[in-house]
Amino acid sequence: MLEIVETQIRELKKLWRNKRLLLHQALNLAMIVFSALMIWKGLMFITKSESPVVVVLSGSMEPAFQRGDILFLNNQDNPIRVGEVVVFKIKDRDIPIVHRVMKVHEKADGKVELLTKGDNNRVDDRGLYAPGQLWLEREDILGRAVGTLRYVGMVTIILNDYPALKYVLVSIMGLFVLTNKEES
Amino acid sequence: MLLSLESGTRSMHTYWVRLNAVFFYGLNVLLGLAVMTWLSCLQQDLGFGDYPQPVIHKIKMNDLLSLRSHGGVDRALLSFDLAADLRPAFHWNLKQLFVFVLAEYESESNKLNQVILWDKIVETEEDAQMATDNAYIKYALVDQGNELRNTTVNLYVVWDHMPVTGRLFMNRGKGSPFELPPSYR
Repeated sequence: MLEIVETQIRELKKLWRNKRLLLHQALNLAMIVFSALMIWKGLMFITKSESPVVVVLSGSMEPAFQRGDILFLNNQDNPIRVGEVVVFKIKDRDIPIVHRVMKVHEKADGKVELLTKGDNNRVDDRGLYAPGQLWLEREDILGRAVGTLRYVGMVTIILNDYPALKYVLVSIMGLFVLTNKEES
Repeated sequence: MLLSLESGTRSMHTYWVRLNAVFFYGLNVLLGLAVMTWLSCLQQDLGFGDYPQPVIHKIKMNDLLSLRSHGGVDRALLSFDLAADLRPAFHWNLKQLFVFVLAEYESESNKLNQVILWDKIVETEEDAQMATDNAYIKYALVDQGNELRNTTVNLYVVWDHMPVTGRLFMNRGKGSPFELPPSYR
C-alpha cells in the first residue's frame, strides 16, 4: 500500500515539473467530469425531469421495486394515468417518494388531481402528504417510471451512508486519472 | 507484458491500470447483458409474431351493494366478476404483474375519473389465471364530489408489466359499462 502512495507522489512530482503534461492530464480529468455532466444534463433535457434517474430507498413498493433498484424517469407532458408508478415530491420533505397512482381526476382544462399508494402499504398516501393536502398535482410529479435496473443503486446507498467514502473514492479516481500515462 | 517486468514501480502501476480496466470493462459487459435481456423478450412484449396474448374472458359489475353520500362525497360499494388468463404475459424477465380493476367514468366536473377498485400482485405464472365471481372490491368507488348518481362507469382489467430489467408498460382489456342508479340506495 505504502509503495503505491510513494509511486503516486513520485508521479505527481514528475507531473509538476512537466507543465505541459500537467495541463494535458488536467484537461483529461476535466473532460471526464464534463462528459458525465453533459450526459446528465442531456438526459434532463430529453426526459424533462429534474432527476432522470432515481434510486429506490424504501421497501414500500416491494416486491416490484426493492431498495437499491434504479428507475428511469420520464416527465414529458403526456397526461399521468392510473396505475403508473410515479416519483413525487412533497413540500418540506427532502426525499422524493416512488408510488403508484391509484386515482386520477382530470378536469376539462387538463388540470389533474392524483392520489397515490405504495404497493406494499395498506393505506393510501394521504398521511404522507403535507398537512391538509388531499391530492397531488402535476407539478408535484418528478416523472413516471419507464424502466428499471436492479442493484445498481446500492452503490449510491452505500456512498450516502458513508459520506467519507465518497470523497476518498473521488480523490483516488482523480489522482489516477492525473497520473495515468497514456500508451504512446 | 515486458514493460511491466522492467521495474517494481512500473509493475505496480500496470497492476492498478489493469484492475481499473477489468472493473470498467465488467461494468460495460453487465450493461450489455441488461440490454440483451430486455431485447430477448421484446418480441413477446410487443406481440409480434404468433405469441399467444393475455385474454380477459370476463369483467362485469355483479352487485351494487350501496350508493351513498359519505362525508360529503359519493361512494359506491359493489362486487364484480373477473375471469382472465394472463399467463402469456410471463417470461423469464418478468418479476410480477400488477393487475387491477379500474373504474373509469366521466362526470360533470371532471372529464376523466379513474379509480382503482381492486388490485393483485401476481408473481407466478400459475396465479396469472384468475376466475372469481362476486368478488368484493378492495377500495371503494369514491367520487371527488357528488356526481356518481346516473353515471355510466366502465370497468377494465389492466395489467402492469414489472420486469426484472427493462421497460415498464401497461395493457388493458375491453371495457364493460354499467349504470349507477339515479338515487342513493
